[in-house]
Amino acid sequence: MMRLAPQAGERIDRARPLTFAFDGRRVEGFAGDTIVSALYASGRRVLSRSFKYHRPRGELCGCGQCANSLFTVDGRPGVRGCGEPAREGMVVEHQNAWPSLERDVMRIADRVGGALLPVGFYYKTFIRPRRLWPVYEKVLRHAAGLGRLPKRQAEREWRTEYRRRHCDLLVVGGGLAGLTAAIEAAERGADVVLCDEDAEPGGWALVDGRHDEARALAARARELGVEVLTRAPALGWFDGLVPVWQGDTLHQVRAPRHVLATGALQQPLVFPGNDLPGVMLSSGARRLAALYAVAPGRRAVVATVDDAGLQDALALRLAGIEVVAIADLRPDAGGGGPAAYVEAAGIPLLRGATIVRASGRDRVQHVTLAPVGPDGRATGAAEDFACDLLAVSGGLQPSLSLLLQAGGRAAYDPQSACFAVAEVPAGMAVAGALAGEGAGAPVATPPACATDGRRGGKAFVDLDEDVTVKDVEHAVAEGYDSLELSKRYTTVTMGPSQGRFSQIPSARVVARATGLDLETVGLTTARPPWTTVPLGALAGRPLEAAKRSPLDARHRDLGATGRWAGDWRRAYDYGDPEGEALAVQSDAGVIDVSTLGKLLVRGPDAGELLDRLYPNRMSTLKPGRIRYGVMTSEAGRIVDDGTVCRLDDETFYVTTTTGGATAVEQTIGWWQATWNLDARVTDLTQGVAAMNLAGPRAREILSGLTDLDCSNEALGYLNARHATIAGVPALILRIGFVGEVGYELHCPAAQAGPLWDALVAAGARPFGLEPQRVLRLQKLHVIVGQDTDSETTPVNAGLGALVKLDKEQDFVGRWALEHAAEQAPDAVLVGFTTPGGELPTEGAVVLHEGVAAGQVTSARRSPKLERTIGLAWVPAELAQEDAALSISDAGRTIAATVTTRPFYDPDGEVLRS
Amino acid sequence: MSVLDFLTPATGPDAPVAESPLAPALAAAGATFAVRDGWRVAVDFGAPAAEADAARASVVWADVSHLRKLELQGAFDHDLGTAVRRDDGWLLPLTPARALAIGETMPAAPAGADAVDVTTQYAALTVAGPAARETLARFCALDLRPAVAPPAALRPGSIARTPGIVVVEARDRFLLLVGAAVALHVWEVVADAGTHLGGRPAGLEALASTEEVAAHA
Repeated sequence: MMRLAPQAGERIDRARPLTFAFDGRRVEGFAGDTIVSALYASGRRVLSRSFKYHRPRGELCGCGQCANSLFTVDGRPGVRGCGEPAREGMVVEHQNAWPSLERDVMRIADRVGGALLPVGFYYKTFIRPRRLWPVYEKVLRHAAGLGRLPKRQAEREWRTEYRRRHCDLLVVGGGLAGLTAAIEAAERGADVVLCDEDAEPGGWALVDGRHDEARALAARARELGVEVLTRAPALGWFDGLVPVWQGDTLHQVRAPRHVLATGALQQPLVFPGNDLPGVMLSSGARRLAALYAVAPGRRAVVATVDDAGLQDALALRLAGIEVVAIADLRPDAGGGGPAAYVEAAGIPLLRGATIVRASGRDRVQHVTLAPVGPDGRATGAAEDFACDLLAVSGGLQPSLSLLLQAGGRAAYDPQSACFAVAEVPAGMAVAGALAGEGAGAPVATPPACATDGRRGGKAFVDLDEDVTVKDVEHAVAEGYDSLELSKRYTTVTMGPSQGRFSQIPSARVVARATGLDLETVGLTTARPPWTTVPLGALAGRPLEAAKRSPLDARHRDLGATGRWAGDWRRAYDYGDPEGEALAVQSDAGVIDVSTLGKLLVRGPDAGELLDRLYPNRMSTLKPGRIRYGVMTSEAGRIVDDGTVCRLDDETFYVTTTTGGATAVEQTIGWWQATWNLDARVTDLTQGVAAMNLAGPRAREILSGLTDLDCSNEALGYLNARHATIAGVPALILRIGFVGEVGYELHCPAAQAGPLWDALVAAGARPFGLEPQRVLRLQKLHVIVGQDTDSETTPVNAGLGALVKLDKEQDFVGRWALEHAAEQAPDAVLVGFTTPGGELPTEGAVVLHEGVAAGQVTSARRSPKLERTIGLAWVPAELAQEDAALSISDAGRTIAATVTTRPFYDPDGEVLRS
Repeated sequence: MSVLDFLTPATGPDAPVAESPLAPALAAAGATFAVRDGWRVAVDFGAPAAEADAARASVVWADVSHLRKLELQGAFDHDLGTAVRRDDGWLLPLTPARALAIGETMPAAPAGADAVDVTTQYAALTVAGPAARETLARFCALDLRPAVAPPAALRPGSIARTPGIVVVEARDRFLLLVGAAVALHVWEVVADAGTHLGGRPAGLEALASTEEVAAHA
């Protein structure tokens, strides 16, 4: 048992014991413990197996930043045990070892892996013979990865929340500096949010004896209304938006001003055996003792380059841990107070020396200390010490990531042997250790790798990725001689701790190998997220934004198959698309077309406006008349189509394609800003429902529901009338997309349901998008976006008659269409049938003299005509009635015949009847 | 018959009752309906007392899509960003040339303004209660802090990833206007967020017990 006597400022509550399971074994702890502190208190030291070599690993940082203690907790993989609170009954399991942490068969990778798994091994080994790659891949994929997701989808999902939070000031980091900044701002009336990664704010002050001060400041901040978010790391910087991940909530914090007090992280030292369990950061060891009353060892050796390591050693000694020796790389051990205290305490202090080797079987048992030269090689007599804890301090590196993401700059400071803040963006301030406060005492620059010169022993630069010093040196030798290149080749800094403890060490190795200084080597680009975050947190709530017609519930009640049409959900069919199409042609059908765009254009210049927007004339429409129109771009390409109905002298009702309304409204608005005509546009798309009643009995059904004279004489093709239908006010447009006598009924969305019900009750059979497509195809009616693309003009789509080049007004696309009209089109849209009955895939290629020359845009089987029909782009020379086509479709060749006239009712007699 | 009559639900003995685009969701949530001024409205969800309690203690959301809405185009000399309280409704200046007038009864169009009935173009929800702002924060990035958006603040913007308008009717009462076609989606989002925070849907009866809409000239 490694639990110490009560420590002043300890976080655990000894009055609330708890137990949890680790790999099936019972572990005791207290409320306030982390998983790691409880495991360490129980005596466990091996917490995980490393990624590549499956070497045993113990705790490194003690503060939730390293990846040495990743566990699966209650089924969730990748939980950092040194930051995760222990809870009663939790089930904790190791990752990346089989069958157990103690006996992992993959340990063989460490024994033989050096030759088989060199840096970049996946480019060199396991690629020959090629035929075995699928086997290699399967094995490697099975061996790689950390943790397993639960098999059942339900266990892989849990609720995550998005929360938007605006404030006047966001303070990132809740140490003394961050708390002070938050309090000062709140006292001046600012709305402040403070976020901190730890379980409570206070930062290092909680560990170094100033816990009362820290907790008092935190209480004061809360009293002043500061929103304090704990266990809440800031994930990154996105143009002033800082997402903060807390539990299951992603706070999206927006503030005009920021204070970054993100502190500094103590760095490890690099030497053979530096990954043994029991080798940890001196701050981590001190933290375990101070906050959790856990002795990380009984007999400690400390190796340091700064006063922080000396202070940590003294604190460990005070907590009851024997410190058998301290190696301080500085020749004068800093020359300050801490060194004097060390000597006064009788702890052997080796000046100018450092750790050159750690050894032991599955945990540290011996260390060797020696003076070293600039190249890291031992230069003098080495001394061995038996110990079970090696606490190291490689200096402090300010946590720059968020600052750099926000556009700040850092520069290497040889005095403090770290990259320090050089430039802070506007609207931001830095405070505390990030800003270099508290620095000043001398710091020695650790060597890239210290060694006693003996063979054997791996010296790791990156514990997450199992990248050694040799790996980085080999990468540089192979030509990956910058930090960014060596990173991508070796994967150094790409592990779960994202370079917190490996970036600086790897930079030193690259500097040594290339002969460049650290300022030149620099840092890799800082990127979010700062810490691991579930994908679900970023995805937000799984609620789909769909537009739905006011008749949507009725379609679902009728068993309609729903499909997306743009951002609308539409009824594709009601279970019998062929039957629905036949019903329209033999009886009557009704389809919900509420998704069509609908715009009201009003004003004295409304007609003029439409004449300028469309190639055809709209101002000549009489009230109650309808005209089909295509809208073109300035390049003369079709961008939308629909109908224009004149309601009165100054009022036009314009329909567009589903999904086209917003773009058309914007286009009109843009041109209006230029022309400034006296006309106004109102979007009615979502407020007006529309349904198309069509078929031989359509007139009879409509007549039964309204007093309006629906005879062909009174309400002929391309005419509009107002009427009350089944008690609902409606605008009736006599148009015919599906080729039968048809009435498009537009009414208030709030009364669409009763109107639909009345039509269906009167015998109109609901039909969906799929039968509608068949019916319109029989008439060779074009669907913009389906049968046209960004290069299609009205001329080559067979709609040239709509283009009135003799209009007086200039109109959008006129110049381009004049040019298009002067030249014969190269390709033309035509209808086709397949005598053999084959149904080509939409998008299949049309061949001409063996070369791809066009494509099929639409193809269906017509139940009425009992043959396959379609539309296709073909070379102009083939656009003749009965011309032969050859269609290549997924390896087969289909013979087709051109049709230039509609398959059904080619002269429109039925349509106009 | 006016050429724009087809935009306005008919009233009268032969006319069917007008329904909110949220009718299916209201029914699914257990609404009790009544007909008021030709519209079928949800008066409660089976627990009017509990709804009133939730309105006071956490958050409620109510469908008020029956509110009449008029789009006005012309010249408006109003502060953009501030709604103007008018009788039983609001005038919402959206641009210098476009405004929306809302009310329990059809608002009157100011002289010189072109008016179009867009009642059915928008769905409307009222979200009210001490947790209303927190609820909105779950799906709306508009800054609705009291100091920044006091009563009568008008904020067009994204609501649940769709274009919408927020009117701060009172300190803890918000009127949301969204396109009628996305009403079901927005209701689902509001319910998802509000339920998680301890709230519930409410009918018009409970809404009356929330804080009064601020009176602004």
